[in-house]
Amino acid sequence: MYRLARRTLAAAAVSLLAAGAANAQVKELRIGYQPSPIQDASIAMFETWGAKNGVKIVKVPNSYGVYVEKMTASLTSNSDQYDVIWHNDDWGQLWAHLLEPTDDVKGLEFAEKWGMDKIVFGNAAGQNTVVPMGQTFSVFFYRSDLVKPEEVPKTLAELVEASKKLQAANKVKFGYVGGMSMNHSWFSWLWSMWGNNCDVLSPPYERDNKKLAANGWKSMMTEPCMKETVEYWWDAINTHKISPRGMPAYDRNEANAIFMGGDAAFTVADSLWWGTFNDPAKSKMAGKIAAARFPLGPNRKEPFAWDDIWGWAIPKSISPERKKLAKEMLAAMMVDEEGQMKMFKATGAPPPNTQFWPKIAAADPFMKLLKESVLDSPNKVRGAYYFANWPAVHKAFNDTVTKAVTGKREDIAKVLAEGAPLVSKAAQ
Amino acid sequence: MFGEQQRFMLFLIAPAALLLGLFQVVPIVIGANASFRDWALYNPKKTWVGLDHYRAVITDPAFLEVVLPNTFIFMILSVAGSLALGLGLALLLNRPFRGQKIVQTVLMVPLMVAPVIAAIMMRWMFNDQFGIVNAVLEGLGMEGQPWLVQRWTAFGIIVLTDVWLWTPWFTLLLLAGLQSLPKEPFEAAAIDGTTTWRVFSHLTLPMLQPVIVVCVVIRAIDAFRTFDIVWTLTGGGPGRSTELFSIYAYVLAFLNLDLGRGSASAIVGGLIILVVGVVMYRLVDRVTKS
Repeated sequence: MYRLARRTLAAAAVSLLAAGAANAQVKELRIGYQPSPIQDASIAMFETWGAKNGVKIVKVPNSYGVYVEKMTASLTSNSDQYDVIWHNDDWGQLWAHLLEPTDDVKGLEFAEKWGMDKIVFGNAAGQNTVVPMGQTFSVFFYRSDLVKPEEVPKTLAELVEASKKLQAANKVKFGYVGGMSMNHSWFSWLWSMWGNNCDVLSPPYERDNKKLAANGWKSMMTEPCMKETVEYWWDAINTHKISPRGMPAYDRNEANAIFMGGDAAFTVADSLWWGTFNDPAKSKMAGKIAAARFPLGPNRKEPFAWDDIWGWAIPKSISPERKKLAKEMLAAMMVDEEGQMKMFKATGAPPPNTQFWPKIAAADPFMKLLKESVLDSPNKVRGAYYFANWPAVHKAFNDTVTKAVTGKREDIAKVLAEGAPLVSKAAQ
Repeated sequence: MFGEQQRFMLFLIAPAALLLGLFQVVPIVIGANASFRDWALYNPKKTWVGLDHYRAVITDPAFLEVVLPNTFIFMILSVAGSLALGLGLALLLNRPFRGQKIVQTVLMVPLMVAPVIAAIMMRWMFNDQFGIVNAVLEGLGMEGQPWLVQRWTAFGIIVLTDVWLWTPWFTLLLLAGLQSLPKEPFEAAAIDGTTTWRVFSHLTLPMLQPVIVVCVVIRAIDAFRTFDIVWTLTGGGPGRSTELFSIYAYVLAFLNLDLGRGSASAIVGGLIILVVGVVMYRLVDRVTKS
């Protein structure tokens, strides 16, 4: 009996040693990501590094539709399924306690500071938990073959006028198109709301959870600015007919398809769509697209910029050897100038190393515009909130404004008032 | 303890019982446990909260006033629609005609299509800009509609998709039922010169009733938990106007990442369908006995 126990223990010890040795000679890194142009370009840099250093990069694609829940389950179960995962500002605080601090990753000194703010990605100890992949924010795209730069609408009212003019001249079917349904609300609701000095929670643009809590997680659904925003879209769809009647149900892909098909003059989309919009194989409007600042609502006079990052993170639960190797890879990505140039060319997303930005801007007018109007802007807005209940708040907000915009115009205030406590409650 | 025959029987059912236990019973037990705890997917504290989650679900106005009515309306419309169409097609296929086998095979195609694929297809068909439905309407001089923006048109498309997917299943089973009916009563009715409608209403339908009831019970229970086509077509929107019970539970558990409340809502739904199922099984029993 004792002999059997001794043998079992010895076998277990040998297995552990073997596993330890295997970990010590890590030769592959598994990347959990969602296929998209910017992530593909970033992973290409990992592969370049892997080829030079004899590390196999194993790509594990995940659907966007289930990414958060799947990755959250993976992180909380302490699995070692992934060594590096795609990270997003929306989930910065959701996962902060489950991720390895990344302050020691070399090259982070070149990263842009706003996007990596502790309020977004900092853990309870104030450590950073992300390495940037690139800047991801939306911009206002317009058809440069139809609209001269000096004619680009600067206000929401001008957007209506410009759209109607183009529609009357039979240049386009619609003026504006953008995603409106849940998880696509940035492309209509959120930007137009921010441009009208409005936000989901009060005070507007505040992202410090302590201040939001001190204010009782009060929603802005009953504020006049919110009513104006919903009425604007109701009128755009039903009265002025500058946007399709089906828009409240559109996701970003449907809206982008209409814009790329040449049926709309204006849209708001992530800047990383620049490459796709200008790809003749995918877009009828390739070469006929430019970007500008967001049009503003009646309550705001100063331009604003929405700026966030996408990034990479390392699960806390993986072995120290894998963490070390993952950090080496991410550090190499941070200084890979050639790879980052390729990333910008393929996507239009400003790459993670700010040192390369002036060089790109000097050669590329689109980057010049992004730099002037977004990256160097003093009036920046963050695209999400950074507490665990944000998905629930976002859904309650989107359900309410969708109900309001698809109902009767005279009921808008009533619907917003009914939704206000639901938004506040979801935040608590 | 067990005889040889019993041991052999246990040996035979063991693999199935093991799989059932691992993939059905254990998850239900874990879910039930989670429903009494503060169990956020991102931070599973697992502290005991008693019936709090259940209280929250059954007092939620959205659950009571939107989700439950939607679920039962969907169940009734989908089952009734599939049954009516399935019965009609089964009656047509029950008579010999040239190319019958080909038609029969073609009619079965929706059964081979994954519901998500069917829903994506429908979403594009009813897209207000690119969809074939509006193209046809506009070709006929009518105005295209934003189908997915209004509650009842969106709901109608969900029901239509489900009916399209499930009609062949009804057709197949009812056709098998029709072909197993005795010939003699129909021959006697033909000799008497009975009208087609009277044959259908006084012979076919009563004799087919047990098959119909079993089909309806199975399908109704299945319809109660429909998720994929609704999630793909509308995501429960616009607003929450097409939200069904399964979407409600999914949003709580996997969008809000509140596994505790999501599990509680799933168990509440499970209990509701259990009651509905028992009532329906009693109905089957009564019909079979009569």
